[in-house]
Amino acid sequence: MSTEKFSPGFSRIVKENAVLEKISGGHIFTEGPVWNGQENFLVWTDIIDDTIWKWIPGQGTSIIMRPSGKADGMTYDHQGRLLVAGWSSRTVWRWEHDGSTTVLASHVDGKKLNTPNDIVMKSDGVVYFTDPSNGIRNVGMECDDVQKYVDYEAVYRLDLADASLTLLVDDFINPNGLCFSPDESLLYINDTPRRHIRVFDVLPDGTIDAANGRLFAELFHDDHGSPDGMKVDVEGNVYCTGPGGVWVIDPQGNPLGRLLVPEDCANFGFGDPDYRTMYFTARTSVYRMRLEIAGLPTYPIP
Amino acid sequence: MNWEYELVAGPYGSPTDGPVWDGEALLFTSLPLPANTINNRILRYDPQTGAVTDFRKWTNRVVGLAFSADGILYGCQSGARRVVRFNRDGSTSPLAYRVDGKFHNQPKDLAVDQQGRIWFTDPVWGPPVQGGLRNHELEPYSIDYRAALRMETPNKDAPLRRMTYDTVAPLALALSPEEDVLYVAESSEEPAGKRELRAYPINSDGSLGDYALLHAFGADYRGAHRGISGMCLDTAGNIVAAAGSERSGPGPMIYVFSPTGQVLETQPVPAEPTNCAFGGLNLDDLYVTTTEGHLYRVANTDRQGHALPSAAGPAAGE
Repeated sequence: MSTEKFSPGFSRIVKENAVLEKISGGHIFTEGPVWNGQENFLVWTDIIDDTIWKWIPGQGTSIIMRPSGKADGMTYDHQGRLLVAGWSSRTVWRWEHDGSTTVLASHVDGKKLNTPNDIVMKSDGVVYFTDPSNGIRNVGMECDDVQKYVDYEAVYRLDLADASLTLLVDDFINPNGLCFSPDESLLYINDTPRRHIRVFDVLPDGTIDAANGRLFAELFHDDHGSPDGMKVDVEGNVYCTGPGGVWVIDPQGNPLGRLLVPEDCANFGFGDPDYRTMYFTARTSVYRMRLEIAGLPTYPIP
Repeated sequence: MNWEYELVAGPYGSPTDGPVWDGEALLFTSLPLPANTINNRILRYDPQTGAVTDFRKWTNRVVGLAFSADGILYGCQSGARRVVRFNRDGSTSPLAYRVDGKFHNQPKDLAVDQQGRIWFTDPVWGPPVQGGLRNHELEPYSIDYRAALRMETPNKDAPLRRMTYDTVAPLALALSPEEDVLYVAESSEEPAGKRELRAYPINSDGSLGDYALLHAFGADYRGAHRGISGMCLDTAGNIVAAAGSERSGPGPMIYVFSPTGQVLETQPVPAEPTNCAFGGLNLDDLYVTTTEGHLYRVANTDRQGHALPSAAGPAAGE
């Protein structure tokens, strides 16, 4: 059994007998899966193996970047370029179509960032990313410089129009996954050690009402796993890695059920042309499962 | 003569370790609990002013510290299972952490020889590593032994060489003044394990010969006696070692062993000692760190420390 229902509403998300299929194995620490809706392929990172992989349905996997600066979370911009939370490179960077890379952010107030972990782009092209410091500390994820400089673990807004970096919130122990509600009025951010998801109102200027963050959900369970990757579907249900796999939570914060993954799942992404397949990056493997509902596409919308 | 322990810093409520004299002040490490606390620090005690200041923050469970001959500070970053270099510009460089392609364990204690080679103990030690892959997930990518290792040059791509083949809990090490003997403390916490002070001759080809057993710690009705967790040398080449606990045996103790293993002195410590190092302008003060986070100074040991490298210049590390 690859699903577990907590609430009847879960039946609208996934069939009870949905099958989890492994599409790639032999990795070390997979992360950052994102579907390319223009050309219909999946890319993901392996942090410790220092690689970005590409998987074309029916064709298989290939390495598209190595070393990758031990890159972590990724998303696409409107032009179909990968935006990368660089983790061990301690930057946020963009992979240009000509194969070069452009650093988009590396310092805040003159100090080196921690280790950008996950990244999301708002429809207006503005980038939001989390910057915990555990990339400095984790075994096998070292940077050239493992000194932490900023006093906090923050979430930032990065306006690429003028390269301005704005600190949004800094009271997380380890801010990790983040995603917008479908109408982009809400920003969800999870805090791994606290095992919770908080939700913030997005203000007209693109910042968030940090003082008015609300506890959205807590993911406690005997199974191993913590909040990490997080996405929403077209109806605003929130998907978040947690104990045992990926938890599905309705917009009111009620857990509907779990998609069970046999390895620690760090992240996932919606894919296939209809965005009704979930791709899970779980340590040594990448898995997929068909859903009954579409995820919110990553840009560019085909 | 009974040593007089003067409390000069702490207790911090969690272990202090890694004492090293930088030429003007004593650096030591603070390891807060729980183990996922990120505010680990290197502290600096200035005996001129009595002040304790932060030397480095967020050190990720750095335990042992040592300077190289050119005055660069190195540390055993047990939290990330690597040896790091603390650069003078404030940055921290991770050094080689793979032996034959596999991650080594958790460096605990180190010494840099005159050739710039870094000798370090690599036990599985302390709380589990936090974050990223869990310990059992790391196993396929990790070495399956616990040894003293040597980094041939202090950089990221340096070869790492396994030096001991007969250790399971190597916690502390020290080089003899002539750098022809490596002292290793095998300090198992397992009741059936060994708690020994060993002297390995360093062969001309750089390998180690068979060790001489200098001292074996015993056991009594309360349990095994805690072995050596840190040590340093005096000018005569005697080994000054922190060992013992309240749980069994003769108690928390600084032992002084001759190079042949004769016990020259035993001095009870007011708390369980983790490590010790000579400091002061004449290297005649012994500093002792503890499990509870004290920094003690003993001014009346009537011994002088074997001079280890220290910071070359007053601004080192900052």
